[in-house]
Amino acid sequence: MGEVAGLLARGLHLASSVLLVGGAAVLVLAGPSDRPTARRWESWVLTACRALVLVALASGLLSVAHQTAMLEDRAGAALEPAALARMLLHTQGGTVWLIRGGVLFLLGAFLALRLEIRDRADWRAARGEVVLLGGLALGLIAAAGHAAAVQPGTAVAIAVDVVHLVAAGIWVGGLAPLALLLWLAARRAGADARPYAVLAARRFSWTALAMVLALALSGAWNAWVHVGSMAGLLGTRHGQLLLVKLVAVLAMLVLAAVNRRLIPALAGDAATVGRPTMRRLSRAVAAEAALAMIVLGAVTVMSVTPPARHEQPTWPLTYRLSLDTLVGAPDLESQVLIGSQVAVLGTVAVLASLALRRLRLPLLAGGAVVLVAGLAMAVPPLASDAYPTTYRRPGVPYHAASIAEGKTLFAAHCAVCHGAQGAGDGPAAAALQPRPPDLRAHHVALHTAGDIFWWITNGLPPMPAFGDRLGPDERWHLVNFLRSLAAADAARLLGPTVEPDRPWLVAPDFGFGVGPAFSRSLKDYRGRKLVLLVLYTEPASRPRLEELTSAHALAAQDVEIIAVPRDAAPDAIRRLAGGPWILYPIVTDGAREIVETYGLFSRAPHAEFLIDRQGYLRAIVAAAGDPRRDLDLLLAEIHQLNQEKAPPAPPAEHVH
Amino acid sequence: MRVWRAVVLVNLALAVGVGWGFLWWGQQARRLALELTEARAALAAGGGEREFRATGVVRAGLPEVGMLVVTHGEIPGYMPPMTMGFRAASPKILESVKPGDEVRFTLRGTPPNLAITAIDKTAP
Repeated sequence: MGEVAGLLARGLHLASSVLLVGGAAVLVLAGPSDRPTARRWESWVLTACRALVLVALASGLLSVAHQTAMLEDRAGAALEPAALARMLLHTQGGTVWLIRGGVLFLLGAFLALRLEIRDRADWRAARGEVVLLGGLALGLIAAAGHAAAVQPGTAVAIAVDVVHLVAAGIWVGGLAPLALLLWLAARRAGADARPYAVLAARRFSWTALAMVLALALSGAWNAWVHVGSMAGLLGTRHGQLLLVKLVAVLAMLVLAAVNRRLIPALAGDAATVGRPTMRRLSRAVAAEAALAMIVLGAVTVMSVTPPARHEQPTWPLTYRLSLDTLVGAPDLESQVLIGSQVAVLGTVAVLASLALRRLRLPLLAGGAVVLVAGLAMAVPPLASDAYPTTYRRPGVPYHAASIAEGKTLFAAHCAVCHGAQGAGDGPAAAALQPRPPDLRAHHVALHTAGDIFWWITNGLPPMPAFGDRLGPDERWHLVNFLRSLAAADAARLLGPTVEPDRPWLVAPDFGFGVGPAFSRSLKDYRGRKLVLLVLYTEPASRPRLEELTSAHALAAQDVEIIAVPRDAAPDAIRRLAGGPWILYPIVTDGAREIVETYGLFSRAPHAEFLIDRQGYLRAIVAAAGDPRRDLDLLLAEIHQLNQEKAPPAPPAEHVH
Repeated sequence: MRVWRAVVLVNLALAVGVGWGFLWWGQQARRLALELTEARAALAAGGGEREFRATGVVRAGLPEVGMLVVTHGEIPGYMPPMTMGFRAASPKILESVKPGDEVRFTLRGTPPNLAITAIDKTAP
């Protein structure tokens, strides 16, 4: 109940603010006139503006009350002066409301004055001021919306949103007053204002074109920031609302295109425009204005819906398109390549048909056929099965603790069929048809984490469903373990030398402690230091560990060495006591999880993992034979990593 | 007065008002930031001798220079977790622990001249 009221207030506030700007803008565009019908229209629009300011202030007040109740989490707060003051004075949203309320109040006072307008300068100043103040009140909504929560780049996000709001105000808000003018001029008694109406429509048309361009650009930017992916567009409420909005806008644009075709006919001989044409135009513009209300409704709901980027998408289709399906399938690749070329050819023909008037029909038809044929050839190979959870982000981070947990669960529930190492060779595998796949194979990495989560939850015959036997976190632990298996398989390509500027394998995060007081995680070093993770076995690793002490000293500024005993012994520090000091962290807490995870990447008793500043695994040194390897080699690799110019983007949490 | 003049005046007043508010707000923010730094500096200086308690693991003892290397946790108000050497106030302190011991210890002195004045093992 309260929610609906809040939404209505918001919607009313947005619509009145938009119409206010649009009305004043159309007045300014049309210019002053001495025709009686035109003057009547002007006074109607001004009266409407006065009413709209009142509506905007009242609905704004309701919105503030509703927001206060939401913020304090009790309905009573909406009527308490103290709670309202807290909201207005101590939240950013409240301050923005306060400033906007002030601007609207000023605008209302300005509109209430009976101004004595003597010439064009006076007229322009008086009407322009309404556009200015209304635009200010409308544009400032951006400072309290989703844009204000974008980080980093808050200022840019707000600026883009201001452009979007004001452009929408002029285009979307201008349609209704324009329709009114056209309707007045289309009446028998309104013939005196027809040239004026035609002029206004033509000027508005050009302005609207510019506004639509600004809306398209700022809207695309907003969509990228707040939605960001196909999954977000199709699979979240915010994205679906955006689709509704886009469909309505598209319908408006089609109508607008039709209108623009009418206007040159009108402009030809403005004085003798017939009533039927005028009436058709006024109806089309009114229809556009009605569609605009759908857009504003969708926007209102979007403004209280969390942006798609921050939601878990539920994929609505049973398939998805991805270029990954082409990996290792050269014949499919050539099919897609040829198909897409054919589609491009079709597109060119269709575009050419727009330019060549004579050949329009055959070109359009032929182009469309070729385009569809090309798409029919190129698209199907890209489709692969998808599930509601396909684009779900893992509920548990890709972390050694989760992977170790997943390993235990795998041994208990999965190894019977899938084999202890995931090779598909468990004792029960022989009886199954089809046989369990090799989970270490690289193609497993081509499925999303959400795909695997879905299979574990719902089964994939002959595999049973585990949704009722394992909790969601447990299933995500299994997904993380499988991801690490595939990563470990891929890691065989990593050697002791760093491949310059080519990070591709994400190092699983881990937490570690030295004694009870000192604890950190790999992530803490992101953007700051390289990490050399050392899995060691005593006593064979001892000389190497001592050598690393000197490397530590040499590269102290750049590298954090973290040593983990393979046997995860709690007294590891004590055992290393006699002899030269080893002062880099020796992990006593979290060692088991690290060994279980990174042990998948190298089975050598002594293995060193070089992790770059962005958290990518860049080199693996498995010093099996001679632990006294030349330290210069390691330092050269560290130097190589320090030389990398543009640090690559940190790995996204999205699994792929 | 002519309408357009009045409008220009209103807009000028608005611009001046917004500009002034913006500057005032910036000044307020600067003042608060300054106060915060001063308060922090005053807290850190502490005026003379101070005492800190911390836990950690002994990594090495250096009897020749009378120092103890400890991997310690956060020392509130002084230092984040790290491995570093501290002067031991007496040789007894050095003798009472060995590498690998988990310890609780007390630092006393005028920063940055601190010494370990007491140390206890928390685990055998």
